[in-house]
Amino acid sequence: MTTLVPVTYKGGVYRHDEIMDLIDDLGGYIVQKHVMAQDVVLQSFVPRDDIDLIREIAKPLAGEVVEAPLVGTEIAVVSPSLEIHHLPHTACDIAEYLRRSGAKTNMVGLSRGFGKRIANLNDEERDVINEHDLAVYALGNFEECIQQKFPVLRRGIHVPIVVTGAPDRETLLRIIDPPVEGYVGGVGRIMHRFKRPEELAKLDELVDEVSRTLDARRDDLARDPLSIFPPRLMAILEERIHEISMLTHPTPVTAQMEGLRVKLPYDLYADGVRSLEVASGVTIGDIASVTPSRMRNYILIRIKPFSETRILV
Amino acid sequence: MPPLNYFVVESPDEIGREAYERIVADVLQDLDLIKVVDRLHIYVDPKVPIFVAAGVLRHMPRAIRISDFANINPGEKEIVLDIGDETYLAPLLQNLWARYGKENVDQPDRFTVVLPAGVAGEEDLEHMVVADPSETLYMDVIYALQYIAPEGFKVRRQYIRDEKFYYVASEDTLPADIVETMIVPIFAKMGVTL
Repeated sequence: MTTLVPVTYKGGVYRHDEIMDLIDDLGGYIVQKHVMAQDVVLQSFVPRDDIDLIREIAKPLAGEVVEAPLVGTEIAVVSPSLEIHHLPHTACDIAEYLRRSGAKTNMVGLSRGFGKRIANLNDEERDVINEHDLAVYALGNFEECIQQKFPVLRRGIHVPIVVTGAPDRETLLRIIDPPVEGYVGGVGRIMHRFKRPEELAKLDELVDEVSRTLDARRDDLARDPLSIFPPRLMAILEERIHEISMLTHPTPVTAQMEGLRVKLPYDLYADGVRSLEVASGVTIGDIASVTPSRMRNYILIRIKPFSETRILV
Repeated sequence: MPPLNYFVVESPDEIGREAYERIVADVLQDLDLIKVVDRLHIYVDPKVPIFVAAGVLRHMPRAIRISDFANINPGEKEIVLDIGDETYLAPLLQNLWARYGKENVDQPDRFTVVLPAGVAGEEDLEHMVVADPSETLYMDVIYALQYIAPEGFKVRRQYIRDEKFYYVASEDTLPADIVETMIVPIFAKMGVTL
């Protein structure tokens, strides 16, 4: 079986459809396409052996292919509030940097996440965060505050968490109990855009921490694979439900590591999605759970593992 | 940041202290207040929890009068105000409308305002106060401190008068004698009596 690796293709608009066709022909998947003025960015999965071929074909088009460890993941960047104290810097800079590595990021601004004693997480916020592959918590400057408020902010969260804060990594490791999956120290409440080399180095460290965490999850998934590869299901949905092509969202279907978020109203489309046939005799309902998302009225598809369905599409 | 004459951030948490030093520098720079603030002392202790900022402003800008930005040319039938700087044109018109009525204030072009002769004396006009930048400056300084302080510290007390200001905030109720116990000693460190 060929291994698909996550890559980002960056090039011009001119003849980029040839690259898209090539990826398709090679058996790869495009999970996200961005067109920005003259430039195109394709977040895609391609067979490892064929990366050089794509590079070669993209050369006359001045396109470049780089490995992007976070393609096909949806990450929540959690900020204690939407006030000027915490936004736009830190949270937005983190989100933007993760996006450069291929992730689809969503900002989650808590309604009452600020303060030491008064910090809170409500059920909607908890459920929304749990719909992601990973949550990055952008916390503040004081050790004391992080120690006291973090247990509250993580209550009920079962996705992996990476914490950032001003105290150094060792301090974060010491004060957070039970441990979380990743820590990045030295990034607290910063009131300017990340631009100094040491600040950018911190963001690189964060990307490493996030990809390490997600790689560990991918290894687990390799032991008990999903019944269908999410980007493959995404391609099927896009082909079979034509309404998806009429959505104006940047990502009408968002690929996650273990599922998809389809941005169609649940009430109208859930039954249609459930009964959609992905292979002869196998419907989506057989291999995945189709549930309402807490994000607006979207549909959340969580693909079940092979061990549960005994089906591999 | 060009140095203030006195700038100290105190905190039992060394990393937090450094972070707050950077936050203050960024905020004062963003809000263009570096030239305004002369001395600033901040004390922040997340254990209590308390945030105190106290300081002295450099000088308060004086009130803006018509003579500061316009020439007044009295004629036989009308008085022509020749506007040199448009910054305060909007408050000027508001003031003139309120005092002489809209029917008496004519503005044939951007830089000219015409009043009929006799409604106002030249002296009156020259000394008419149009705007007081110190009013908005007070608000800017308080806003900056609100912006610097940790967001969770919602209970606060603020004061700004005669170039001295303080801002105390906490998550919990502030003690009634906070000014005497915390702020007066901080002002004393800066060599100022409140």
